Amino acid sequence: MQSTFHGLETARRAMFTQQTALHTTGHNIANANTPGYSRQRVNFTQTEAYPNPGMNRPDIPGQLGTGVSAGAIQRIREGFLDTQYRAETSKFGYWDARQVALHKMEDIMNEPTEDGLAQTMDRFWTSLQDLSVHPEDSGARSVVRQRGMAVAETFNYTSESLKAIQRDLKNEINVTAEEVNSLARQINNMNTQIASVEPHGFLPNDLYDQRDQLVDRLSQLVNVKVEPVGSGGLALDIAEGKYTIKLVDQNGRDIGVTLVDGKRLEANEMKVAYDDDTGLVEAVYFASQKTQEDPNFDYKTNGGVSKFTVDNFHAAGKMKADLESYGYIAKNGEEKGLYPEMFQNLDQMVFAFAAEFNAVHNSGWSLNEIAAGEKSDPPINFFEYRGADLTIVNFKGAASNLKVSDAIMAGLDNIAASTDYQGKGFSGDGSNALALANVKDASLNFGGTTTNVQSFYQGVIGDMAVHTNEAERMMRNSDTLRLSVDQRRESVSGVSLDEEMTNLIQFQHAYNAAAKMISVVDDMLDRIINGLGR
Amino acid sequence: MRVTQTMLANNSLRHMSNGYQNLGKIMDQLATGKKINRASQDPVVAMNGMRYRTQVAEVEQFKRNLGEVYNWMDTADATLDSVTQSLHRIRELTVQASNDTYEETQRANISKEINQLREHLVALGNSKANNKYIFNGTNTTTQPIDTTKMDLKTDNEEFIANKENFEVTYNGELYKFAGDNGGNTFQSTTGKTIEIDGERITHQYTTKDENGDDKNSTETLKDNQIVISYKDAVSTNNQKVNIEVLKGINMNVNINPGQVFSSDFFGDIIRLENALNDSSSKSGDITKFLNNISTQMDKVVNERAELGARYNRVEMTERRIMEQEVIAKRIMSNNEDADMEKVIMDLKSQETVHRAALAASARIIQPSLMDFLR
Repeated sequence: MQSTFHGLETARRAMFTQQTALHTTGHNIANANTPGYSRQRVNFTQTEAYPNPGMNRPDIPGQLGTGVSAGAIQRIREGFLDTQYRAETSKFGYWDARQVALHKMEDIMNEPTEDGLAQTMDRFWTSLQDLSVHPEDSGARSVVRQRGMAVAETFNYTSESLKAIQRDLKNEINVTAEEVNSLARQINNMNTQIASVEPHGFLPNDLYDQRDQLVDRLSQLVNVKVEPVGSGGLALDIAEGKYTIKLVDQNGRDIGVTLVDGKRLEANEMKVAYDDDTGLVEAVYFASQKTQEDPNFDYKTNGGVSKFTVDNFHAAGKMKADLESYGYIAKNGEEKGLYPEMFQNLDQMVFAFAAEFNAVHNSGWSLNEIAAGEKSDPPINFFEYRGADLTIVNFKGAASNLKVSDAIMAGLDNIAASTDYQGKGFSGDGSNALALANVKDASLNFGGTTTNVQSFYQGVIGDMAVHTNEAERMMRNSDTLRLSVDQRRESVSGVSLDEEMTNLIQFQHAYNAAAKMISVVDDMLDRIINGLGR
Repeated sequence: MRVTQTMLANNSLRHMSNGYQNLGKIMDQLATGKKINRASQDPVVAMNGMRYRTQVAEVEQFKRNLGEVYNWMDTADATLDSVTQSLHRIRELTVQASNDTYEETQRANISKEINQLREHLVALGNSKANNKYIFNGTNTTTQPIDTTKMDLKTDNEEFIANKENFEVTYNGELYKFAGDNGGNTFQSTTGKTIEIDGERITHQYTTKDENGDDKNSTETLKDNQIVISYKDAVSTNNQKVNIEVLKGINMNVNINPGQVFSSDFFGDIIRLENALNDSSSKSGDITKFLNNISTQMDKVVNERAELGARYNRVEMTERRIMEQEVIAKRIMSNNEDADMEKVIMDLKSQETVHRAALAASARIIQPSLMDFLR
């Protein structure tokens, strides 16, 4: 026999449940603009029907529904899209950071313009041509000296400015590493909180949202893979569990670093170690906070530490791009990276050019030598290096230390414009100046590439431009992909106000109808209690 | 696909910012007139741009070099013209003086005029263009001709002491010191010798007799028939001055001064003056000089002809440079300059797209179901 108050109970349950749905709708509306928020849904479940099948069940028509209850409040989200989004984000992070570094380099190289290095060199060649026409003229000599100084200063300025940007990149690497560590710690915190909520059968939706957002941010810095670990206890099947976060390469293969350990609730720390001599990145290593706090800790010797050289560190992302831009010591001991390679190119160019220029200059006769009637010993160089003693195998710093030689600075008459003619030189002979001007077309050996200085420089700029162009294109492509995945994710998880409005009305009507049901049952009971037996 | 307001808002924002980005790029092109503003926008254009700029700079430089080439050649040509005229006048005067009706004083007067003409020729030889001595080979800062070092006498102390520093002119030929074993002997390129031993001057030369055999002859010369001058009285720097006028093409801009302003050139004129001042000179003695003058005149004319030919070449080169300048600038412009008509069309169409994006955003974002649920 069913209860007289059955209807009341059913209606009450309906009212409570619809109210829960209304509250959740309210929560959704309230968070419509909260970044990282996934809309939530109340999973309605019918309560157990009456009567239960069993030995002493009443013999009534059945089963009779007993109403509804709010099963769980679940966020609507598709994990696959998260994985996709994070893969694209780490690509975007890589190309974006690379693009920024290259853009800055491009700004400094400043080609092609009226003020770039190429133009400065062109002006220098022109002044030498003028000198070849007026070899006895001190005005032409002074222009050559000034233009020579401009060439040296442009090289100095270019490499100094590049160094300044390289220093900024070092800062950025450290900040990025710190951010990776901070995100790992925060995710670990979230794991800990989630681990204490889930075993009680609750779904900490807002914690999930926050944690996913942290992972999204992390994926821009390094490429990560998420592996959920169940919380145990009375956790629901749909509970998302704790996250174990591992670093992966672009194919999704584990590279052997667990940044956040969901099982042990631990986060590891990333550190970047620099080479003492060159200041470039020597290695990247990961170890637990505790290990690193040990005063005897030395990543070079300690076991249990994951250590990578940069060319081994395959987790793409902003971090990797910053490391590659700033420069690192490769496995074979070479200096690699966008900035070190540009320095090498500039140094190579300066060294080969200055050596050839000096050789031609040495062979000529300056006005002073003509007056003295003999060649000076040692011969006069046009270019020198500040403080540094450079050789053909070690010309590091040639660009930043290039200067017009002291001899030339001391006297314009030390510029050798005349060629040797039967062991003598003549003031009106500008053929050595012409030979100097033609150094621009001389085939020189730039560390294995034989070409003239202009072509070599054009090649350097062309390479840089192609790299920048590629980085920019890849950045745009990965951004487009990332945005399209993000759209699909938003399409699943985003709050639509119109939809919430519709739900609101739907739930409101259901609530009202349930209330109406109560007044119907009330009338019915009134009939039974007050209307019967008068 | 489910579409939410946030998605619409984000998309609108992205479209608008893309629109601004494109407008910015077009704005850059319009303001600078260049297709690209950074190398990465088109690496090929950038690299070619650098090369073409160098090419334009080169051509402009060659154009500037040409100015100096003309400067040298024009001055040399004008100077050689004056030299020819002066030599003509000297020849005229010589013909006049060779007439035996002219008496001693009249010849002396002619000698004075020739002396003045010689001074003029020295000045011409020392002429400067753009503050350079153009008749001294590559040694343009030193004056090539020094008259104080010419016309020394045999009793000059330095001459007696160091004969190797001197040379002797006689009858259109230059006799150089023959070396230590010769003692006092000077030798010409044709093998004739002059021996100066104190006051005594003997000239030895070979002629052919009627059978065609060599015959050695000797004559004694007077002090005033030869001219003794320092070796460096006239500079012997005949090195070419080259100016690059096209890539790899050097133009020789100076004449060979040794062919015109030589020691024997001035020596012969001095000898003529001496002969005119010598009361013992006869008509025949003076007529001999006409030959010498003609020889010198021929040399001048030859140099001038060669200079003229080179001048023609320079003019042809100039036309080529002018053409090259136009070509180089056009290539550079084609490579990197923006096509204004195209850019303006791009601007117009981008503007339309941008306006449409703005208008669409304004209409789509605003209304929601709320507006209709009252």
